[in-house]
Amino acid sequence: MILIAFLGYNSVYFQKLSTHKNQKNVTFDFNLFADSLYFKGILTNTKAIDLNELLVQIKENSDSAFKTHGNRLGIGNSAFFMVKSQGKVSKIDNGQLTIAALNGSFINLETKYIFGNAIRDASGLVKLTDFKTNADFNKVSEALNTVIREKVLPKNISKIKIGDEISFTGALKLSKKEVLGLVILPVFITLKEK
Amino acid sequence: MNKEILKKSQSLIALFLLCLVITLLSDKFLTGANLWNVLRQISVNVCISVGMTLVVLMAGIDLSVGSVLAFTSVICAGFLKNGITIESLDLFVGFTVLGAVLAALIIGFLLGLFNGWAITTFAIPPFVATLAMLTIARGATMLYSEGIPISNLGSSFEYIGSGWFLGIPVPVWISIIVVLLMVFITKKTTFGRYIYAIGGNEKAAYLSGININRIKLMVYSLAGMMAAIGGILVTSRLNSAQPNAGTSYELDSIAAVVIGGTSLSGGVGSVTGTVIGAVIIGVLNNGLVLLNVSPFWQQVVKGLVILLAVIIDRKSKK
Repeated sequence: MILIAFLGYNSVYFQKLSTHKNQKNVTFDFNLFADSLYFKGILTNTKAIDLNELLVQIKENSDSAFKTHGNRLGIGNSAFFMVKSQGKVSKIDNGQLTIAALNGSFINLETKYIFGNAIRDASGLVKLTDFKTNADFNKVSEALNTVIREKVLPKNISKIKIGDEISFTGALKLSKKEVLGLVILPVFITLKEK
Repeated sequence: MNKEILKKSQSLIALFLLCLVITLLSDKFLTGANLWNVLRQISVNVCISVGMTLVVLMAGIDLSVGSVLAFTSVICAGFLKNGITIESLDLFVGFTVLGAVLAALIIGFLLGLFNGWAITTFAIPPFVATLAMLTIARGATMLYSEGIPISNLGSSFEYIGSGWFLGIPVPVWISIIVVLLMVFITKKTTFGRYIYAIGGNEKAAYLSGININRIKLMVYSLAGMMAAIGGILVTSRLNSAQPNAGTSYELDSIAAVVIGGTSLSGGVGSVTGTVIGAVIIGVLNNGLVLLNVSPFWQQVVKGLVILLAVIIDRKSKK
């Protein structure tokens, strides 16, 4: 009897339906959350790996590199990485910067079309289980992308010209099975003083 | 004597040989991560199969376990996430993780009880009664969930299916407890003896004073409850209840029972044998995936293994 009472007490709770509905309707401010996520989370996060180092590690042992540095929500061969690198701007085309890295390779930085879940997932700071629905989880990406696209990048982008040296940190999607182009969605870009 | 031991351990020998072959063909099989993964995966089938073992030992069959799993899965997830709203009383009943789990177990028990009731009261063959429940429970699952998965159930619930305790995955602990409980029931209780007696000769069991209907009700209820445990594990592992979950799980559990040496005509078999059967199926599934065998061929191979197991079983009994 005591056991049943204990189980019952710890199993269910009662609320007035109207109170419950009001609680449910309290809106979550995704813009505020994204601001905090960016300025207090992503900017202060030092876990970004050097792009060259990542590519070397992937070549040596892709499973280990994906496990150590990659973030992914489910199963699959691709993962998102937060990477950092630097180089000289060799081309600017409709918001896409082509960067000639120090090792001679070329990297593309997409500064105009910042969409999708790459930055959110590469940050590794947000989990699907923190949100009630997939739609809410995706709204985090929308808000975060907006912060970067509209508040962060415009400060520097207009100053960058071909030949400038820049350093950057950004989100990169890589697949174990196929070689994807190195297109990075930047979370911040720093123009080096000449 | 040696022949007797060999007969008793034939499932174990088959498992050993299977592991050996897969290890030789794939270097990924015998890694810690893969073996834990296999154990985690088979824990669902183990829970369902030990319930099925009791039913088959009694010369019955339960085709509804997959659908009962799906229904208890959506009930568990639905109660946890949305609770129950009673508009007329302006009342919301919310469920904690414990509450949602208990609700799923009770529903599983009741669905099994309904199977037992239909079989004992109307003398419907178990095959037909549980086939009906298979359809009813699947339909109820679709009705309750409206065919849409119920996701994001929280990290504390996710722990049941994905967590670790003392270095072992939680679902493995749960299946170990279930197996130990069922071994105790079948080997050490009069209830267990009655199950074997009914399976061996139902008429003789009746004449010796066993309340057959009561035992059948209890066994089918337990099988329903085991399916509910499977449902909770699947839901928790995916952190989501899928309305089409558990499809064909009844066949996997029957296969585990048969491969484990339990006779479909009842009276002979054991829970430990079923566990070995479930491990064989799990290892086989894992091995075929590691070896990149097409999913279509996987089904063919699984079917052939079941057939082979039954043929060996028949031959060894002659």
